[in-house]
Amino acid sequence: MDILVCVKQVPDPETKLRVAPSGKSFDTDGVKFTINNTYDEAMVEEALRMKEEFGFTALRVISVGPPRAEEALRSALAMGADEAVLVETPADLPLDPLLVARYIAAAAKDIPHDLVMVGRQAQDDEAGVVGSALGEYLDLPSYSFVTDLAPVPANHLLKMKRYVEGGEEVFSAPFPAVLSILKGAKDPRTPTLPNILKARKKPLKKIPAKDLEAKVSALQGGAKPTSDILAFTLPPPRAGAKMIEFQTPEEAAERLIKLLKEEARVL
Amino acid sequence: MPVDFELSTEQKELQELARRFARDTMAPRAAQADRTGEFPEEVYREAWKLGLMNLNVPTEYGGSGLGELDQCLITEELAYACGGMTTSISANCLALQPINIAGTPEQKERFLKPFCSDYHLASFCLTEPSGGSDVAGMKTTIRREGNEYVVNGEKVFITNAPHASLYTLFATIDPARRHKGITALVVPRDSPGITPGKDEDKLGHRASATSSVTFDNVRVPVENRLGAEGEGFKVAMNTLDSTRTPIGALATGIARAALDHASKYSLQRTSFGKPIAEHQAIAIKIADMVQKVDAARLLVWRSAWLADRGKPVPLESSIAKCFASDIAMEVCNEAIQVFGGYGYMKDYPVEKLLRDAKLTQIYEGSNEIQRMVIAKEHLKRVG
Ligand SMILES: Cc1cc2nc3c(=O)[nH]c(=O)nc-3n(C[C@H](O)[C@H](O)[C@H](O)COP(=O)(O)OP(=O)(O)OC[C@H]3O[C@@H](n4cnc5c(N)ncnc54)[C@H](O)[C@@H]3O)c2cc1C
Repeated sequence: MDILVCVKQVPDPETKLRVAPSGKSFDTDGVKFTINNTYDEAMVEEALRMKEEFGFTALRVISVGPPRAEEALRSALAMGADEAVLVETPADLPLDPLLVARYIAAAAKDIPHDLVMVGRQAQDDEAGVVGSALGEYLDLPSYSFVTDLAPVPANHLLKMKRYVEGGEEVFSAPFPAVLSILKGAKDPRTPTLPNILKARKKPLKKIPAKDLEAKVSALQGGAKPTSDILAFTLPPPRAGAKMIEFQTPEEAAERLIKLLKEEARVL
Repeated sequence: MPVDFELSTEQKELQELARRFARDTMAPRAAQADRTGEFPEEVYREAWKLGLMNLNVPTEYGGSGLGELDQCLITEELAYACGGMTTSISANCLALQPINIAGTPEQKERFLKPFCSDYHLASFCLTEPSGGSDVAGMKTTIRREGNEYVVNGEKVFITNAPHASLYTLFATIDPARRHKGITALVVPRDSPGITPGKDEDKLGHRASATSSVTFDNVRVPVENRLGAEGEGFKVAMNTLDSTRTPIGALATGIARAALDHASKYSLQRTSFGKPIAEHQAIAIKIADMVQKVDAARLLVWRSAWLADRGKPVPLESSIAKCFASDIAMEVCNEAIQVFGGYGYMKDYPVEKLLRDAKLTQIYEGSNEIQRMVIAKEHLKRVG
């Protein structure tokens, strides 16, 4: 019983982004990329728990991206994944989440997967699309915003929880399946230094994207991005805070409510 | 391509591990430990769990066997959060290095392994009340009696001494023989006759514990001797040759913290209607700080890089340690100036950095001694 987890390397949340000369993305020059993307880390931890507590045997990790994405894979290996696959894309290959899903699906043809897990969304573009798209391309059911995962491997059933508006669902479904993990049962472990060193010896296979092109082209949508980014802009600088003048706390509350209703329009 | 400044993926991971630990575990406790002088042992235990201690213990004894550059990358990140904690965390590397250098396989097995299977601290006992720089003038004596040595004397300023379970001790079989009499011994802390003194009240590095240790007729089995009698001076010097560069990294980490604080503050603080960073006098300070931190790191990396290639680095490690600690003082001093009156207040982080930076000019060979070495080594190559 094998698990395949998908990770993405994203810019460090503390790094300052600039618009690229093309106006269609951020400039990767001088951007520090994280080794660990928060949502993926939570998901990898959950996948490790599946292996440690529910008898899954192998945990493989895959990423689609430029050579530097190897760092994200090494980090997952240091956390405890067994093997890694990097679908290496050239810097000028435009990717959108659907195309990424097609590359993963194409590579996954040769990677055993009883469970495919993704983070709830990438920390950078926050699209949250790859999971459900993978379900389509792999012809597997997919479930999003999953927490409290508990497989019953004997009957090939998963018991899980999903947050829904105003409450939560507990349900069961068969696997193989694709799961997008909202939150793991445990805080993600920090890879220890000895595990970082051990990860160096774990297998990491690099597949040039063009080697998968034929398989990707055979999937609906083909080898080109489905969507086209027209423009990338940064949020406007935040306006300064507004201080409320008041004599009594009641007056302060009254003025605040008025501002929230009339100016901020959040009430 | 003879020189490459790009770190490997694995080195970036080590750096990231240290950075996270520094940010999440050390930094939140740094100000309080500095104020109270408490010894935040839970931080050190956590560092041990993550593998951030005993970096230099070879893998066959359960350590991670890191090279100098890797150690420096980690040390800079830790020191960015707290110099004092970093001193206590890296003291094990200093104390265990004599065993790495001069221990027999049996001694390594006996002494190093326990440090990797459990949390323990060790101390390096070299400095004496009568002087740290003049190592050959030490007065702590050892006398052989059958299969034991009997140790008498006092060491001072010993990092982690009250908390350590093992001491690597340098003492002499005959003070008159100066460096030729010095002998290295591994001494378990629970040997009868050992008394650590009171925890010193220090200017900086207050999260680290420092105390004297007295040895009163302490009996140590002969099989705890590292190398031969009289070889201790060489063991001590070789040890310091390999820990000096990481001290440069420690100083660089403190300086980088000061630079970061000053840079951010200079963009936020306004005077005469603009951020103070736009006043040229402040911009020049920032520019000078940037250059110094960068140069210090490069000197540290060069020395570590050479050491990792098996080259002796008496000159390069002294340059790295001396330069990095001197600029750490300058950069922290200027950081306080950028903060103005706020920098002088304990509510702001920069005055602590200055107090922490000061030690790096003094310990592991004072900068006066480093300069003597640098001049001597340099002139040897010229003349
Ligand atoms: C917080 C702290 C932690 C420490 N931890 C340890 C530890 O774990 N283990 C350990 O063994 N030691 C430790 N030390 C001791 C430290 O290494 C010594 O303080 C240092 O080597 C200087 O020795 P000293 O203090 O006796 O000064 P001295 O040797 O007396 O020197 C006094 C001054 O004279 C200068 N000087 C001395 N000789 C010369 C010379 N020939 N030419 C020019 N100038 C000279 C020195 O540079 C210094 O400025 C620690 C010290 C401190 C403060």
